[in-house]
Amino acid sequence: MNEILGIAIAAVISWFNFVIIDTWMGLPEAPGVKGAEAIGRDIKKRGGDLAGGFFQGNIVCSPDASAGTLLASIACFAIGTPEGGFIAAALVYFGNRICADPGYAGTTGALTITIIIAAASYIGLTPVMFIAGMMIAILTIQGLHHPASSKLLGKIAQKMGRYTEIE
Amino acid sequence: MLYIVYIIAIGSAMILGLILKLPLLPERPMRQSWTTSVIFPTAVLALGFTAMVSKLGYLTSTNIDYLIALAIGILTAIFCKFILEKLLPKPSGEEAPAFMEESH
Repeated sequence: MNEILGIAIAAVISWFNFVIIDTWMGLPEAPGVKGAEAIGRDIKKRGGDLAGGFFQGNIVCSPDASAGTLLASIACFAIGTPEGGFIAAALVYFGNRICADPGYAGTTGALTITIIIAAASYIGLTPVMFIAGMMIAILTIQGLHHPASSKLLGKIAQKMGRYTEIE
Repeated sequence: MLYIVYIIAIGSAMILGLILKLPLLPERPMRQSWTTSVIFPTAVLALGFTAMVSKLGYLTSTNIDYLIALAIGILTAIFCKFILEKLLPKPSGEEAPAFMEESH
């Protein structure tokens, strides 16, 4: 498959993989650590959404599905599919626990992207494309405009019933 | 044959986890639970540890692999039951997440 097209498809898949899993696992509901709360409140002060801000704060402060997706893609590239993804899931769990996080989002994200990478290899998508795609996906959330991305994340949280009750 | 190794490792870890009285699943809401259970993280760690052993080249492609898988499963269950919470304790005090503070 054409590399640019492959990276674009991988970016979209990775974006949905980590946003859906992180929201489902309750990242917008509450900040896991005080640093995540500080980030969430700062984003709200700049015109963003609090639940989306907590989501962004949580993915900065511990390896959630975003890190799980990226690390599993890297491990699949470096070690092989699917073993690399399985190893990444176990290591992400330890990383989560060190970062005061129970670890569900990170390991689930790593395992789902491993299954997706294994399935997508049949249409010519490679782990390298997923590494580049995930970098683009996380850039859209954390790198372009925090207030806008937090509002989008807040809307997704509302739709999935995971909006924060914290004022 | 490799997938049988994974099945033996995960299966033995889960069975021993149940014998050691680990709960099958964390209590609800699961996403906020810190309970070590048979499905999470025991099965996930058994999967990861088996992949590590496989990729480090310790599997021999003979019947001994099944014994190695059994050993991985047993060691993972023992690790999750007795060592995990000592090695990686739940956060407490100021480090505790907001929802944990509210529940106390």
